Amino acid sequence: MSRLEAKKPSVCKSEPLTNETVRATLSVLKGVLTSCYGPSGRLKQLHNGLGGYVCTTSQSSALLRNLSVTHPILKILTTSVQNHVSCFSDCGLFTAILCCNLIENVQKIGLTPTTVIKLNKHLLNLCTNYLKSEACGCRIPVDFSSSQILLCLVRSILTSKPACMLTRKEIDHISALILRAFLLTIPENTDDSIILGKSIIVPLKGQRVTDSTVLPGVLIEMSEVQLKRMLPIKKASALKVALFCVSLSGDFADTGEGTVVVSYGMSLENAALDQLLNLGRQLISDHVDLVLCQKVIHPSLKQFLSTHHIIAIDRVGVALMEPLSKVTGTQPIGSIGSVSSSSYGIVKELCSAKFGSKHFFHLIPNEATICSLLLSNRNDTAWDELKLTCQAALHILHLTIKEPWALLGGGCTETHLAAFIRYKARNEPESILTDDGCTQAELQLIAEAFCSALESLAGSLEHDGGEIVTDMKYGHLWSVQGDCPSVVNWPDLLSRCGCGLYSSQEELSWSFLRSTCHPFAPQTCLPHKTVSPTSNLIVDCLTAKLSGLQVAVETANLILDLSYVIEDKN
Amino acid sequence: MSRCVGPGGRQVLCTKPTGEVLLSRDGGRLLGALHLEHPIARIVVACVSSHLKKTGDGAKTFIIFLCHLLRGLHAITEKEKNSWISENIQTHERHWKNCCQWKFISQALLMFQTQILDCIVDRYLSRHFLSIFSSSAKERTLCRSSLELLLEAYFCGRVGRNNHRFISQLMCDYFFKCMTCTSDTEVFELVDDCFIELNVGVTGLPVSDSRIIDGLVLHRDFSVYCPADGDIRMVIVTEIIQPLFSTSGSEFILSSEAQFQTSQFWIMERTKALMKHLDSQNVKLLLSSVKQPDLVIYYARLSGISVVECLSSEEISLIQRIIGISPFVLPQASSWYAISNSALVKFCKPFILRSKRYVHLGLISTCTFIPHCIVLCGPVQGLVEQHENALHGAFKMLRQLFKDFDLNYVKQTSDQNDTSNPLIHKNSRESNQLLKISNHSIQKPHHDIVVKNGDELEKTQAYLKVHSNLVVSNIELETYIPCSATKPTPTNTFQIDDTLKYLSSEKNRIIDDYELLTDNNLTGNSKTENTRVEIPYEYLQVTKISRTKSKLPVRYKSLDLGTPQSYHSSSMPAGSVLPVGGNFEILLHYYLLNYAKTCQQSEEAMVSTLIANALLGIPKILFKTKKVNYSFPQIYLRTLHALQTNQLMVSSQAGLESVIGKYQLLTSVLQCLTKILTIDLIISIKRQPQKIYDQDSEDEL
Repeated sequence: MSRLEAKKPSVCKSEPLTNETVRATLSVLKGVLTSCYGPSGRLKQLHNGLGGYVCTTSQSSALLRNLSVTHPILKILTTSVQNHVSCFSDCGLFTAILCCNLIENVQKIGLTPTTVIKLNKHLLNLCTNYLKSEACGCRIPVDFSSSQILLCLVRSILTSKPACMLTRKEIDHISALILRAFLLTIPENTDDSIILGKSIIVPLKGQRVTDSTVLPGVLIEMSEVQLKRMLPIKKASALKVALFCVSLSGDFADTGEGTVVVSYGMSLENAALDQLLNLGRQLISDHVDLVLCQKVIHPSLKQFLSTHHIIAIDRVGVALMEPLSKVTGTQPIGSIGSVSSSSYGIVKELCSAKFGSKHFFHLIPNEATICSLLLSNRNDTAWDELKLTCQAALHILHLTIKEPWALLGGGCTETHLAAFIRYKARNEPESILTDDGCTQAELQLIAEAFCSALESLAGSLEHDGGEIVTDMKYGHLWSVQGDCPSVVNWPDLLSRCGCGLYSSQEELSWSFLRSTCHPFAPQTCLPHKTVSPTSNLIVDCLTAKLSGLQVAVETANLILDLSYVIEDKN
Repeated sequence: MSRCVGPGGRQVLCTKPTGEVLLSRDGGRLLGALHLEHPIARIVVACVSSHLKKTGDGAKTFIIFLCHLLRGLHAITEKEKNSWISENIQTHERHWKNCCQWKFISQALLMFQTQILDCIVDRYLSRHFLSIFSSSAKERTLCRSSLELLLEAYFCGRVGRNNHRFISQLMCDYFFKCMTCTSDTEVFELVDDCFIELNVGVTGLPVSDSRIIDGLVLHRDFSVYCPADGDIRMVIVTEIIQPLFSTSGSEFILSSEAQFQTSQFWIMERTKALMKHLDSQNVKLLLSSVKQPDLVIYYARLSGISVVECLSSEEISLIQRIIGISPFVLPQASSWYAISNSALVKFCKPFILRSKRYVHLGLISTCTFIPHCIVLCGPVQGLVEQHENALHGAFKMLRQLFKDFDLNYVKQTSDQNDTSNPLIHKNSRESNQLLKISNHSIQKPHHDIVVKNGDELEKTQAYLKVHSNLVVSNIELETYIPCSATKPTPTNTFQIDDTLKYLSSEKNRIIDDYELLTDNNLTGNSKTENTRVEIPYEYLQVTKISRTKSKLPVRYKSLDLGTPQSYHSSSMPAGSVLPVGGNFEILLHYYLLNYAKTCQQSEEAMVSTLIANALLGIPKILFKTKKVNYSFPQIYLRTLHALQTNQLMVSSQAGLESVIGKYQLLTSVLQCLTKILTIDLIISIKRQPQKIYDQDSEDEL
């Protein structure tokens, strides 16, 4: 029974950002996110009082998914970050923290939202143009002829997720695996357009991390008994495969809207089974060696096939259908009548494999762009984190192949960008203020807020009480160990900058990040010799970071622009 | 509400009980989200939403204007009440008296809206109208820069201020990509009706990634995708292709197992044959509104036919509207004939947006709409929806703008044939004969209206000279058609004595007759029997004609409209616009006050001043945030001064807005106000609303 109830009027609040509680919750959220940021970030354990398992993570995607925020403003922030992460899989925390920083900094200034938004937009354009331009001093080209930068990219992603609980050696192992899995999905002989394949992540929980491996082709999990029954496979040459997407259990498909009258004594089951056996005979005469079915195969048909030495595997599931059809080159068969000979495919080899306690059928293709990545980690939560990280890394590699550039990581891009903006705003304000309405003083204020948002973002990479300094030539980030003596020889204390591109032996001068320093022009145009093969760089994906920057500024603008919140309390 | 109005307005965040977050600056949406309780407020909200449904613009202005009107009314009644207190009337009685008075006012308002408003708009305001069509060519071409200005002004008030320029550029691009040179309002109708199908929302990307895509994007993925080159034909099906055992209402009797097997075999063969047949007809794409069985999919794949299933009925109807084919009907018998209901497709390929797959079709349009899609990106769903709604609203606004709007107002007109180009046409040999009309009311300006016959051969210009004499409330229609020798000159005079008995039927008749005469005139001149009736409406354009107090009208062409333009009778021409920034309101205010001064009846004057003052509330809010130089009193004085000295108005802001939208807004507000004022008691009922069974609906069943 439905209950009618009059709708309650909504609650309308004005100027939500001036509210003290909103500010407090925003800063709490920022605190949570900031403490997770970077390789030395702290982990968060998420309990749900109502049940479910405990999640240990430092990733934005897992964190925000499990975190429930109530205030609409926070909701906007978190959904916008989540949407970004679902598009790019990376730079989620970067986006969220930058957005919080911007909102906080701008509120301190007290300019009208109109000018703030306009200027933020100008500064964002300045940033994106700079990052896309040739002169950009914080991006490096990705060279696909060597695996160096790609490996750096994957390793940077893995190191920035401390909840995976990997040692240095394990990180090296996993990043090599991820890169190999990615390379296996690239087709060998390409025409004009490349269609990348897919890597399927197969869980292997409870094993050592170094047991993880990559195999070409598809793995189908099954019980040991089943496997024993089917093996050994005698055939040495390639196997002929039929892949069915209809049910082979003899059930009756759609009969239409009218009624079907079955006369007494007639057995539809027998009729259906006859049809199935006919199909079986056809398969035998076509010399099929392996029958795969998405749904269920009738036991009689199974029996019939196995007596003729045909391996039948059913209940494959819809998720594996596309990879299977790619690996074997079959067309999924939708008919239980005649089967066209063009729908059959071929597998190079079929063997059994055992990883840990699990048994698999392994379909090895001649050449295909499908591979299986067997991932193992010590416990469930760490495995979940590792799986998310691997997916993110594979996605990032995809994005990098589309746009072969990488940004310097480790906070160097942020400090460099901040130095660049500060210099531009001070020395060439006319180029930023293209249209009317904003004064140069306003620009100075907003540029300072924008830069300090970027710098404090870079600074939040440091969690162990260390100090952050920046050099006055490249604008990179250097971190100093905590409790250092006050007057020291800087080059001795610092070894390499955040991204690892420059060493401290280059006659540089440093200043503290949060101190007021004279704006300088950071050196653009990277020298070409930079990436030596041994150098261990930290790099980020350009596409993801650029979009993260844009989303962060746009979301901050959106939140600053709010003048009312109408809450529907029904 | 006032904080969201205009370019300086800010966003409002709405949350729903389901947890959705919505960003909006759309007045109608905000009003709906507020869930107001007061019955009067609900009437207002209902009025606003019905207004929005029609025009897609002006909800916030609606509320502000209404508010000011009510305040003004209150002030008037307060004043009168004070005088009544001395008469010592009982409270209850006073209430009734109050109501009577309100009703009286509401009648006056209604009268104002139906009679005076149109006349003022037409006679005075239309001089200030600009047009978004550039008239350099014979054809009515749209001026891109003015459309940009118009859209920018529109989006200023609708989307966040950091995005409005980008969105208006996007819309402008979209508009010009979709339009062909022969496109007409039908395009707007199509886009307006099917807007949901014509855009794709993507969350998680920055707004600047939004773009326009050639062709149509269907919100589905291919069930089967077979890449095909060259000539691709497609068919639309709305039923399951595979024959089934029984259809509804029939019975299928299975008597033996062999029969069952043969019938299944027959079904299979039949499906296979059908697919082969489609393939042989070069059909490579099958669009289906239902889910097809596995068998169909399988055979489609074998024949190399791509299949898209489960399309919504809206998508199907949009495709049908664009390419004009009807769904494919399955052949009943075994006779195969050529498939007529197929259409050629330029391309069809999968389209991946943020790891979601869509179908991208390049349709070849048979109507004037060239299919394009908008991909709208934004960090959150709320923002994408806001942009989507704003774009939809903009199309509604344009749809209204591109229509002529007939005003219920007929003037005393006199036609005259004028030959501006005597060399071209011999018929136009009569010299520039100016009709002498004795103008009795000198303070009333002459209104010159120029009709330009858009025929390429003839440059005949007919100056319709209008002389209005409303003070005496007489409307005379005098039509002199001094035509060439072939036609007699009909002279008709209509006289209606009393404006108050101005029935609509009579009005229509007069307008009809008038059009007829014009028609005669034109056909007489051109001797071509084409659709000349349409011409005056097709080529309507506005001239700014200076108001002079002399008897001979001096015309000058407005600066931005180079060639002589035409104007015709009492209809608002399509595409007339005014600069933004409260120009419409200030102008109307000025003319209403002028009118009120000349009014004899007191309540008419009262109503006009009331409305005039309320109108000023809108620009007051718009200029609230501006610097000293642009503050409201400054602008107001400057405009009034310009009006009095017959100068051209200098607009401080770039941007245009639709006059028709404004006009409709005004009438909607007045109607809403009369509705409110006629209510005298609110009876609240605490019972559950009882279901009212509609008797008509039963009859229909």
